[in-house]
Amino acid sequence: MSFSDWLLSLHLLSAFALVSGVVAIAAINVPAVRRDRPSEIALLMRLGKVPQIVLQVGLAGVLVFGIWLAIDLDRYSITDGWILASIAVWIVGSALGGIGGARAQRVHVEVERVAAAGDVATPELLAQVRDRSRIALHTGSGLATLLILILMIWKPGA
Amino acid sequence: MLASIRPDSWNFPLFVHVFGAMVLVGGLIAAALALLLSRRAQLLQGLGFRFLLFLALPGFVAMRGGAAWIYSKEGWSGDNDPTWIGIGFATADIGVPVFLVTLILAGIGARRARAGAGGGLTRAAGILACLLLAAYVVTVWAMAGKPS
Repeated sequence: MSFSDWLLSLHLLSAFALVSGVVAIAAINVPAVRRDRPSEIALLMRLGKVPQIVLQVGLAGVLVFGIWLAIDLDRYSITDGWILASIAVWIVGSALGGIGGARAQRVHVEVERVAAAGDVATPELLAQVRDRSRIALHTGSGLATLLILILMIWKPGA
Repeated sequence: MLASIRPDSWNFPLFVHVFGAMVLVGGLIAAALALLLSRRAQLLQGLGFRFLLFLALPGFVAMRGGAAWIYSKEGWSGDNDPTWIGIGFATADIGVPVFLVTLILAGIGARRARAGAGGGLTRAAGILACLLLAAYVVTVWAMAGKPS
Protein backbone atom coordinates (compact mmCIF):
# COMPACT_ATOMS: atom_id res chain seq x y z
CA MET A 1 0.00 0.00 0.00
CA SER A 2 1.27 3.46 -0.91
CA PHE A 3 1.27 6.43 1.46
CA SER A 4 -1.84 7.77 -0.32
CA ASP A 5 -3.58 4.42 0.17
CA TRP A 6 -2.87 4.64 3.90
CA LEU A 7 -4.20 8.18 4.01
CA LEU A 8 -7.35 7.07 2.17
CA SER A 9 -7.73 4.13 4.55
CA LEU A 10 -7.44 6.34 7.62
CA HIS A 11 -9.78 8.92 6.06
CA LEU A 12 -12.39 6.23 5.39
CA LEU A 13 -12.02 4.61 8.80
CA SER A 14 -12.53 8.06 10.30
CA ALA A 15 -15.65 8.56 8.14
CA PHE A 16 -16.95 5.23 9.43
CA ALA A 17 -16.23 6.22 13.02
CA LEU A 18 -18.02 9.55 12.49
CA VAL A 19 -21.21 8.23 10.86
CA SER A 20 -21.36 5.07 13.01
CA GLY A 21 -20.94 7.22 16.11
CA VAL A 22 -23.81 9.48 14.99
CA VAL A 23 -26.01 6.42 14.30
CA ALA A 24 -25.20 4.82 17.68
CA ILE A 25 -25.82 8.06 19.62
CA ALA A 26 -29.13 8.61 17.82
CA ALA A 27 -30.15 5.00 18.56
CA ILE A 28 -29.40 5.43 22.27
CA ASN A 29 -31.03 8.90 22.48
CA VAL A 30 -34.40 7.70 21.14
CA PRO A 31 -35.19 5.40 24.12
CA ALA A 32 -33.55 7.90 26.52
CA VAL A 33 -36.04 10.69 25.72
CA ARG A 34 -38.96 8.25 26.03
CA ARG A 35 -38.09 7.13 29.57
CA ASP A 36 -39.60 8.67 32.69
CA ARG A 37 -37.26 7.37 35.42
CA PRO A 38 -34.20 9.59 35.86
CA SER A 39 -31.96 6.59 36.71
CA GLU A 40 -32.85 4.92 33.39
CA ILE A 41 -32.36 8.15 31.44
CA ALA A 42 -29.00 8.65 33.18
CA LEU A 43 -27.92 5.09 32.36
CA LEU A 44 -28.70 5.58 28.67
CA MET A 45 -26.95 8.96 28.62
CA ARG A 46 -23.85 7.32 30.14
CA LEU A 47 -24.08 4.62 27.47
CA GLY A 48 -23.94 7.34 24.82
CA LYS A 49 -20.51 8.50 26.03
CA VAL A 50 -18.65 5.71 24.19
CA PRO A 51 -20.10 6.41 20.71
CA GLN A 52 -19.52 10.09 21.45
CA ILE A 53 -15.77 9.39 21.72
CA VAL A 54 -15.94 7.30 18.51
CA LEU A 55 -17.71 10.21 16.79
CA GLN A 56 -15.17 12.79 17.99
CA VAL A 57 -12.20 10.69 16.83
CA GLY A 58 -13.93 10.28 13.45
CA LEU A 59 -14.78 13.98 13.24
CA ALA A 60 -11.14 15.00 13.69
CA GLY A 61 -9.71 12.18 11.54
CA VAL A 62 -12.01 12.73 8.59
CA LEU A 63 -10.92 16.39 8.32
CA VAL A 64 -7.20 15.91 8.98
CA PHE A 65 -6.75 12.90 6.67
CA GLY A 66 -9.13 14.36 4.09
CA ILE A 67 -7.16 17.61 3.78
CA TRP A 68 -3.88 15.69 3.82
CA LEU A 69 -5.18 13.46 1.03
CA ALA A 70 -6.33 16.46 -1.05
CA ILE A 71 -2.82 17.93 -0.75
CA ASP A 72 -1.12 14.56 -1.43
CA LEU A 73 -3.10 13.55 -4.55
CA ASP A 74 -2.49 15.45 -7.79
CA ARG A 75 -5.99 14.88 -9.17
CA TYR A 76 -7.65 16.79 -6.32
CA SER A 77 -7.09 20.25 -4.94
CA ILE A 78 -8.09 21.62 -1.57
CA THR A 79 -9.85 24.44 -3.50
CA ASP A 80 -12.13 22.04 -5.45
CA GLY A 81 -15.75 23.12 -4.93
CA TRP A 82 -16.96 19.83 -3.48
CA ILE A 83 -14.06 19.71 -1.02
CA LEU A 84 -14.64 23.30 0.13
CA ALA A 85 -18.38 22.57 0.41
CA SER A 86 -17.62 19.46 2.49
CA ILE A 87 -15.37 21.45 4.83
CA ALA A 88 -18.08 24.14 5.18
CA VAL A 89 -20.72 21.48 5.98
CA TRP A 90 -18.25 19.86 8.42
CA ILE A 91 -17.91 23.19 10.25
CA VAL A 92 -21.70 23.73 10.37
CA GLY A 93 -22.33 20.12 11.49
CA SER A 94 -19.63 20.32 14.16
CA ALA A 95 -21.04 23.60 15.47
CA LEU A 96 -24.59 22.21 15.67
CA GLY A 97 -23.34 19.01 17.30
CA GLY A 98 -21.13 20.97 19.70
CA ILE A 99 -23.97 23.23 20.88
CA GLY A 100 -26.37 20.25 21.15
CA GLY A 101 -23.72 18.21 22.96
CA ALA A 102 -23.05 20.97 25.50
CA ARG A 103 -26.78 21.21 26.24
CA ALA A 104 -27.01 17.41 26.51
CA GLN A 105 -24.14 17.45 29.00
CA ARG A 106 -25.99 19.97 31.21
CA VAL A 107 -29.14 17.82 31.05
CA HIS A 108 -27.08 14.73 31.89
CA VAL A 109 -25.65 16.36 35.03
CA GLU A 110 -29.16 17.33 36.15
CA VAL A 111 -30.56 13.85 35.40
CA GLU A 112 -27.76 12.21 37.41
CA ARG A 113 -28.45 14.59 40.32
CA VAL A 114 -32.18 13.83 40.35
CA ALA A 115 -31.53 10.08 39.96
CA ALA A 116 -29.27 10.15 43.03
CA ALA A 117 -31.78 12.18 45.02
CA GLY A 118 -34.81 9.89 45.02
CA ASP A 119 -35.12 9.05 41.34
CA VAL A 120 -38.38 10.94 40.86
CA ALA A 121 -38.68 12.98 37.66
CA THR A 122 -40.13 16.46 37.72
CA PRO A 123 -41.99 17.88 34.69
CA GLU A 124 -39.15 20.41 34.33
CA LEU A 125 -36.55 17.64 34.14
CA LEU A 126 -38.52 15.68 31.54
CA ALA A 127 -39.00 18.90 29.55
CA GLN A 128 -35.21 19.34 29.51
CA VAL A 129 -34.67 15.72 28.46
CA ARG A 130 -37.23 16.09 25.64
CA ASP A 131 -36.18 19.62 24.64
CA ARG A 132 -37.01 19.89 20.93
CA SER A 133 -34.39 22.52 20.15
CA ARG A 134 -31.61 20.23 21.45
CA ILE A 135 -33.00 17.31 19.45
CA ALA A 136 -33.19 19.60 16.39
CA LEU A 137 -29.50 20.53 16.85
CA HIS A 138 -28.52 16.85 16.94
CA THR A 139 -30.71 16.10 13.91
CA GLY A 140 -29.15 19.00 12.00
CA SER A 141 -25.69 17.75 12.86
CA GLY A 142 -26.60 14.22 11.70
CA LEU A 143 -28.03 15.53 8.43
CA ALA A 144 -24.85 17.56 7.85
CA THR A 145 -22.83 14.37 8.29
CA LEU A 146 -25.04 12.61 5.74
CA LEU A 147 -24.58 15.54 3.34
CA ILE A 148 -20.78 15.24 3.67
CA LEU A 149 -21.03 11.54 2.78
CA ILE A 150 -23.14 12.40 -0.29
CA LEU A 151 -20.64 15.09 -1.37
CA MET A 152 -17.74 12.63 -0.93
CA ILE A 153 -19.39 9.96 -3.07
CA TRP A 154 -20.90 12.11 -5.84
CA LYS A 155 -18.08 14.71 -5.90
CA PRO A 156 -20.14 17.33 -7.78
CA GLY A 157 -17.99 19.29 -10.23
CA ALA A 158 -15.01 16.92 -10.01
CA MET B 1 -12.27 11.59 -0.85
CA LEU B 2 -14.28 8.45 -0.26
CA ALA B 3 -13.39 6.95 -3.61
CA SER B 4 -11.78 8.11 -6.81
CA ILE B 5 -13.64 9.30 -9.90
CA ARG B 6 -16.07 6.68 -11.26
CA PRO B 7 -19.07 6.61 -13.62
CA ASP B 8 -22.07 8.45 -12.16
CA SER B 9 -24.21 5.31 -12.36
CA TRP B 10 -22.00 3.66 -9.72
CA ASN B 11 -22.55 6.37 -7.13
CA PHE B 12 -25.95 5.34 -5.78
CA PRO B 13 -25.09 1.63 -5.35
CA LEU B 14 -21.85 2.71 -3.64
CA PHE B 15 -23.81 5.05 -1.36
CA VAL B 16 -26.23 2.24 -0.42
CA HIS B 17 -23.27 -0.07 0.28
CA VAL B 18 -21.25 2.44 2.33
CA PHE B 19 -24.18 3.97 4.24
CA GLY B 20 -25.57 0.50 4.98
CA ALA B 21 -22.18 -0.54 6.36
CA MET B 22 -22.04 2.60 8.52
CA VAL B 23 -25.51 1.94 9.93
CA LEU B 24 -24.51 -1.69 10.54
CA VAL B 25 -21.40 -0.64 12.48
CA GLY B 26 -23.32 2.06 14.40
CA GLY B 27 -26.04 -0.44 15.29
CA LEU B 28 -23.44 -2.96 16.42
CA ILE B 29 -21.67 -0.36 18.59
CA ALA B 30 -24.95 0.54 20.33
CA ALA B 31 -26.00 -3.12 20.63
CA ALA B 32 -22.62 -4.34 21.93
CA LEU B 33 -22.59 -1.62 24.62
CA ALA B 34 -26.15 -2.35 25.72
CA LEU B 35 -25.67 -6.13 25.73
CA LEU B 36 -22.32 -6.10 27.54
CA LEU B 37 -23.54 -3.63 30.19
CA SER B 38 -26.95 -5.29 30.60
CA ARG B 39 -26.01 -6.52 34.10
CA ARG B 40 -26.52 -2.91 35.27
CA ALA B 41 -30.15 -2.70 34.13
CA GLN B 42 -32.69 -5.06 32.65
CA LEU B 43 -33.84 -2.51 30.09
CA LEU B 44 -30.49 -2.79 28.30
CA GLN B 45 -31.16 -6.45 27.41
CA GLY B 46 -34.23 -5.52 25.38
CA LEU B 47 -32.58 -2.43 23.90
CA GLY B 48 -29.53 -4.37 22.75
CA PHE B 49 -31.76 -6.78 20.89
CA ARG B 50 -33.75 -3.95 19.32
CA PHE B 51 -30.56 -2.17 18.17
CA LEU B 52 -29.55 -5.39 16.41
CA LEU B 53 -32.97 -6.02 14.89
CA PHE B 54 -33.97 -2.53 13.80
CA LEU B 55 -30.59 -0.96 13.03
CA ALA B 56 -27.80 -3.46 12.46
CA LEU B 57 -29.91 -5.95 10.48
CA PRO B 58 -31.31 -3.38 7.96
CA GLY B 59 -27.79 -1.92 7.75
CA PHE B 60 -26.41 -5.36 6.95
CA VAL B 61 -29.04 -5.94 4.24
CA ALA B 62 -28.28 -2.54 2.65
CA MET B 63 -24.52 -3.13 2.88
CA ARG B 64 -24.68 -6.63 1.34
CA GLY B 65 -27.26 -5.66 -1.29
CA GLY B 66 -25.26 -2.57 -2.21
CA ALA B 67 -22.10 -4.70 -2.42
CA ALA B 68 -23.71 -7.09 -4.90
CA TRP B 69 -25.10 -4.15 -6.89
CA ILE B 70 -21.79 -2.25 -7.19
CA TYR B 71 -19.96 -5.55 -7.85
CA SER B 72 -22.14 -6.20 -10.90
CA LYS B 73 -21.88 -2.55 -12.04
CA GLU B 74 -18.07 -2.72 -11.90
CA GLY B 75 -18.12 -5.85 -14.04
CA TRP B 76 -16.31 -8.25 -11.72
CA SER B 77 -16.94 -11.90 -12.52
CA GLY B 78 -15.33 -13.87 -9.70
CA ASP B 79 -12.25 -14.70 -11.79
CA ASN B 80 -9.14 -12.86 -10.63
CA ASP B 81 -11.08 -10.55 -8.34
CA PRO B 82 -8.76 -8.44 -6.20
CA THR B 83 -8.03 -9.54 -2.62
CA TRP B 84 -9.96 -6.68 -1.03
CA ILE B 85 -13.18 -7.85 -2.71
CA GLY B 86 -12.54 -11.35 -1.38
CA ILE B 87 -12.03 -9.97 2.15
CA GLY B 88 -15.26 -7.97 1.86
CA PHE B 89 -17.40 -10.88 0.68
CA ALA B 90 -15.77 -13.29 3.15
CA THR B 91 -16.49 -11.16 6.22
CA ALA B 92 -19.98 -10.27 4.98
CA ASP B 93 -20.98 -13.85 4.21
CA ILE B 94 -19.22 -15.57 7.12
CA GLY B 95 -20.70 -12.82 9.25
CA VAL B 96 -24.27 -13.87 8.36
CA PRO B 97 -24.46 -16.95 10.64
CA VAL B 98 -22.54 -15.16 13.39
CA PHE B 99 -24.92 -12.22 13.13
CA LEU B 100 -27.96 -14.50 13.22
CA VAL B 101 -26.65 -16.35 16.29
CA THR B 102 -26.00 -12.97 17.94
CA LEU B 103 -29.54 -11.83 17.13
CA ILE B 104 -31.11 -15.08 18.41
CA LEU B 105 -29.08 -15.07 21.65
CA ALA B 106 -29.94 -11.42 22.26
CA GLY B 107 -33.62 -12.11 21.47
CA ILE B 108 -33.85 -15.07 23.86
CA GLY B 109 -31.91 -13.10 26.47
CA ALA B 110 -34.33 -10.16 26.13
CA ARG B 111 -37.31 -12.51 26.46
CA ARG B 112 -35.89 -14.18 29.56
CA ALA B 113 -35.02 -10.79 31.03
CA ARG B 114 -38.70 -10.33 31.90
CA ALA B 115 -38.31 -13.26 34.30
CA GLY B 116 -35.06 -11.82 35.61
CA ALA B 117 -32.87 -14.30 33.69
CA GLY B 118 -31.02 -14.50 30.37
CA GLY B 119 -28.04 -12.41 31.45
CA GLY B 120 -25.47 -14.97 30.22
CA LEU B 121 -27.07 -15.22 26.78
CA THR B 122 -27.20 -11.44 26.49
CA ARG B 123 -23.54 -11.04 27.37
CA ALA B 124 -22.59 -13.84 24.95
CA ALA B 125 -24.47 -11.90 22.26
CA GLY B 126 -22.53 -8.80 23.31
CA ILE B 127 -19.20 -10.61 22.87
CA LEU B 128 -20.26 -11.86 19.42
CA ALA B 129 -21.32 -8.31 18.48
CA CYS B 130 -17.81 -7.13 19.47
CA LEU B 131 -16.25 -9.86 17.29
CA LEU B 132 -18.41 -8.79 14.34
CA LEU B 133 -17.39 -5.18 14.94
CA ALA B 134 -13.70 -6.10 14.90
CA ALA B 135 -14.14 -8.09 11.66
CA TYR B 136 -16.00 -5.21 10.01
CA VAL B 137 -13.33 -2.67 11.02
CA VAL B 138 -10.69 -4.85 9.31
CA THR B 139 -13.00 -5.10 6.30
CA VAL B 140 -13.43 -1.32 6.12
CA TRP B 141 -9.65 -0.98 6.15
CA ALA B 142 -9.34 -3.58 3.35
CA MET B 143 -12.09 -2.01 1.23
CA ALA B 144 -10.60 1.47 1.70
CA GLY B 145 -6.90 0.72 1.28
CA LYS B 146 -7.47 -2.01 -1.31
CA PRO B 147 -4.28 -4.03 -0.58
CA SER B 148 -3.01 -5.85 -3.71
